[in-house]
Amino acid sequence: MSAAESQRLPAPAGLLIDRSRRIGFSFEGRRYEGFAGDTIASALIANGHWLLARSFKYRRPRSVLTMAGQDGNTLVQIGAEPNALADRHPIAEGLAVHGQNYDGSLEHDRGAWIEMFGRFMPVGFYYKAFFKPKGSWKYWEKFIRARAGLGKVDLHAHHDYFDKEYLFADVVVIGGGPAGMAAAIEAAKAGGEVILIDENPRLGGSLLYARFDQEGARAAAVARELTAAVAAAKNIRVMTDTTCTGWFADNWLALIGGRRLYKVRAKSVIQAAGSIEQPAVFRNNDVPGVMLGSAAQRLIRLYGIRPGTRAMVMASNADGYAVALDLADAGVEVGGVVDINPQPPQSPLVEAVLRRGIPIMPGHAITEALHSLGKKHVIGAHVERVTGEGTTDGKAARYDCDLICMSVGYTPAAQTLYHAGAKFRYDHASNMYRLEALPAHAFAAGSANGAYDLDAVLAEGRHAGWAAAKDSGGKEGVEPPKPARDQGAKGQTHPWPVFPHPKGKDFVDFDEDLTSKDLKNGIADGYDNPELLKRYSTIGMGPSQGRHSAVANVRFIARETGRDLAAMSVTTQRPPYRPEKFGHMAGRIFDPARRTAMHHRHIEAGARMMVAGAWYRPAFYGTKDQRDQAIREEVLAVRNNVGMIDVSTLGGLDVRGPDAAEFLNRMYTFTYTKLEVGRSRYVLMTDQAGAVVDDGVACRFQDEHFYVTATTGGVDAVYRTMLFWNAQWRLNVDIANVTAAYAGVNIAGPRAREVLEKICQGTDLSPTAFPYLGVREAVVAGIPARLLRVGFVGELGYEIHVPASQGEALWDALVEAGRDAGIRPFGVEAQRCLRLEKGHIIVGQDTDGLTTPFEADMPWAVAKKKPFYVGGRSVAIQNARPMSRKLVGFEITDKSVPVPEECHLVVRGDQLTGRVTSAVMSPTVDKIIGLAYVAPDQSEPGQTFDIRIDGGRMIQGTVVRLPHYDPDGKRQEM
Amino acid sequence: MASATASLAPANQRRRSFIYRVLDGIGAEWGEVGGVAVPLGYGRGIETETADARRMGLVELTPLPRTGFKGAGTVDWLKGQGLTIGEPANIAYPQAGGELALKLAMTEIFLIDSLAATGAMIERLNSAWQWAGAAPRPAMGYPVPRRDSHAWFTVTGARAPGMFAKICGVDLRPHKFENRRIAQTSAAKMGAVIVRDDMGGVPAYHVLADMASSEYLWGCLLDAMAEFDGAPVGLAALRRLAGKG
Repeated sequence: MSAAESQRLPAPAGLLIDRSRRIGFSFEGRRYEGFAGDTIASALIANGHWLLARSFKYRRPRSVLTMAGQDGNTLVQIGAEPNALADRHPIAEGLAVHGQNYDGSLEHDRGAWIEMFGRFMPVGFYYKAFFKPKGSWKYWEKFIRARAGLGKVDLHAHHDYFDKEYLFADVVVIGGGPAGMAAAIEAAKAGGEVILIDENPRLGGSLLYARFDQEGARAAAVARELTAAVAAAKNIRVMTDTTCTGWFADNWLALIGGRRLYKVRAKSVIQAAGSIEQPAVFRNNDVPGVMLGSAAQRLIRLYGIRPGTRAMVMASNADGYAVALDLADAGVEVGGVVDINPQPPQSPLVEAVLRRGIPIMPGHAITEALHSLGKKHVIGAHVERVTGEGTTDGKAARYDCDLICMSVGYTPAAQTLYHAGAKFRYDHASNMYRLEALPAHAFAAGSANGAYDLDAVLAEGRHAGWAAAKDSGGKEGVEPPKPARDQGAKGQTHPWPVFPHPKGKDFVDFDEDLTSKDLKNGIADGYDNPELLKRYSTIGMGPSQGRHSAVANVRFIARETGRDLAAMSVTTQRPPYRPEKFGHMAGRIFDPARRTAMHHRHIEAGARMMVAGAWYRPAFYGTKDQRDQAIREEVLAVRNNVGMIDVSTLGGLDVRGPDAAEFLNRMYTFTYTKLEVGRSRYVLMTDQAGAVVDDGVACRFQDEHFYVTATTGGVDAVYRTMLFWNAQWRLNVDIANVTAAYAGVNIAGPRAREVLEKICQGTDLSPTAFPYLGVREAVVAGIPARLLRVGFVGELGYEIHVPASQGEALWDALVEAGRDAGIRPFGVEAQRCLRLEKGHIIVGQDTDGLTTPFEADMPWAVAKKKPFYVGGRSVAIQNARPMSRKLVGFEITDKSVPVPEECHLVVRGDQLTGRVTSAVMSPTVDKIIGLAYVAPDQSEPGQTFDIRIDGGRMIQGTVVRLPHYDPDGKRQEM
Repeated sequence: MASATASLAPANQRRRSFIYRVLDGIGAEWGEVGGVAVPLGYGRGIETETADARRMGLVELTPLPRTGFKGAGTVDWLKGQGLTIGEPANIAYPQAGGELALKLAMTEIFLIDSLAATGAMIERLNSAWQWAGAAPRPAMGYPVPRRDSHAWFTVTGARAPGMFAKICGVDLRPHKFENRRIAQTSAAKMGAVIVRDDMGGVPAYHVLADMASSEYLWGCLLDAMAEFDGAPVGLAALRRLAGKG
């Protein structure tokens, strides 16, 4: 017999393992062997190795508690992945697993000394101990951080491929146990699409590991019958190894399966995830070898492992007796069933236990688990007679054992129901929180709904399946018998399975090493509300998220304060139900990127690209270290020769219809009704508060057709705003956002006409035939084009807008036509400099969310006699008030000072009077120029103001009249 | 299939696919269709590519003709021009020449050409629409430059709905999304018009989305298709799949 088989039981035990496939893996550097289907924990226990982890605070040895991944006792490190659950993670050939949260080795943790000082670290000590005297936190922080956290994150871990997927269903059933399978089968009869999910590798739930009768045969028979029916239903999609981690509004479910996040939209959802067994509280209840009864049953039936040689079972329900029978069947000597209740339950299972000769000790409790050196494993139990709720006679009898099982009660696995908005209320009859109200299109069945008798569970499942299918719009079949409220829940859960020990270490929250004394002290400190106690003590904040401590939290408070549990609720249950990896969140992130038709031409020409909204634009052409020189040369090329810039990203809107001019009159500050066909005019848009939100030009190509440009980042909002207002005004106008449909090039500079004429023969480009601010429809390089004579950069220039798919051909044609003239592409940085020389603002850079046209010194753009435009009333009101700031042009002639940056402050004494919005070293006028907000009494040309730049240094700017360059505008009108 | 001649290379033509460099990089074989360069195949042979298309294929159809009209009077004017357009919106109405008139709204039609890509009807409509000389102008909608505003990709194959489930929140499975239905939705975090247009009994979906995002969307689709062994497929295979070539 190999090591892997030393603790193994013969089939049929071991439902999940394939004994024909041996798998080697390592734990803490030592090689082990298990079977395919084993988890790390089951394979190690099969090899006789129990120690899996160290506890968070006291570094106490820990091992399997639930064998269902419900606790934090089995967290291990697998390569770069910290905090993997050893009782859920399958083994794989060569898998290298390590423990975590120790100094030295898992077996011999040098940090375990801290437990000796446990009494000096009561709950809340953290908040009290390290903050006084002032400044001491800095000293303590490094020690605390060194001990905080569990696994180790590898910041250089390789990227894995995670994905996301939408799923759709009429009915989703969460939980593939008896209730869930019965529900799915019934729901499927209505013909709709059903998704049945279960977080385990096989359907069956408790049918696979629990015992429902004396013989232990019924569960397997029911499981076979249900799984066959599920498989036969073509419209049930089974998703095993998949967990529902969140249930959001409108039945949006988050499912995690492998490396995929499924986003499910379901018409109806049935929660049938069962219940979570709860531990008892006694001294050393965390020592390896102390586990839930269901954990022992899982080890036996799912993994074929004998969990011990001699066991004691602490019970308060019939399931404890079932555990004793299962242990006995597995060859474990059962030293006794220690029943907290004065009388054993009325159950055939009790009779069966007696027939096996297993001692039953009613009215007794295990008060302490005895352990081997180093607390590595349980070696015995102290049993005392119960004298009252949580009290015993103090006369301990020792029972040697290497396994203690706890079967003292349950709580509904209702986390996702809480997410959905279900209401629960404590039920004194069953000593559990029970479902009181469900939101629309939500259903529950099985022990999640308080049913424990198997027949009742199946009946609930069938009815919930029928009801959910009907709710989802499926064809209505015959209604299954409506189940009565199951009385089987009574007696399942003990109201106070807590036996505090004078020496402590009676853990209520295993994740956070919180004992009964910790909770009492916290409540005594005044934190007598479950939410407050949670935050003060950290109960329920560990990896198991209160699955075993949330109800205990409420019970302790009720007991200490005398409040009624029925009037109290557990702490808020928030998604995710189980941890979700960052990979699940990050997998398949969409990051749209817009590229112009000429994008690759820019790359080929050596452009450094920059992001503008979703667009990529060329910042300048050259390497990073050539930046300043490249920008300077690009600016001078435009001023002295000819340059071309890709302006495809600028917004373009076709506004057409008999009311087009009236529409623009209402949308913008200027007037457009009298604008001639073939002409353009500046547009300035304000919002209803009168703030500047966008600008551009309106080009009248037909009496009823305006082509309106907008800023790159603003066009989508402008389009939405136009649609919104047109829906109100119902003018006879149509608006189309054609931004993506047009590529654009601005060719600018004194030789622009000369270049364009080479490829635009059909249109008279002379200044008289096509003057400044004129617009024409033309053909350029054989491509139909819209030509705009605009002057953003202040030189003779033409914007050429062509169908996007022909943009690259236009670019190529301009490069070729301009070759002799030495045409040069220029980027956004040069354009910003050129426009600043002309004193043109950039909305969003030189304006903010409050800037009015008057503050921006643009009264010329506001029509005074129009009856209405959006924001006009607000602009008028603001203009009637004293202005608090004004945008001015400034210059700095001292070349030794650095160029101010955007948002450097304008200060006067101890007052902030404004800020710089734009500034550059102008190659054209050979000085620093810029725009800045200043106080109105600082805004006259010739006045100076102070700018605080980086490092607190003050430099002086002088207000100048705009523009800095070509004040008469002769160059753009050539 | 021979590689494209120099004159057929997209870089030598006025109208160019935004992703022609990407397609060149994966061995696109260009052919002239309706005066523009279209990737007819990717060097795997038409039989293989047709088989790929049955499983999962991605076809670049952006160079093919399309147009659009919107605004008051659009549908009546188009009907007057001989188009067949029904009442419900979000339906693709097939035309006599195999074109599809996508009714995006009660006053908005997006026209895509047939795979033959003659462009005849689309050119006729574009020519027929003119600004009237005198007011009041008859209500006949307004042309919209759909050939340049939207890229046109077609996803084919039985597993296409599974791929879409990774990038789009609309249930596009054939039993939930009938043939010729239109979804105006978000795919890969960008606005998209998705039209089901089965070909030869195989599910096929046209994806019409922002032209400037062509390269991004093409990459997204290929990446999402990888787990289904999806592959780029040429127009020739698509025509074969549709029984038109």
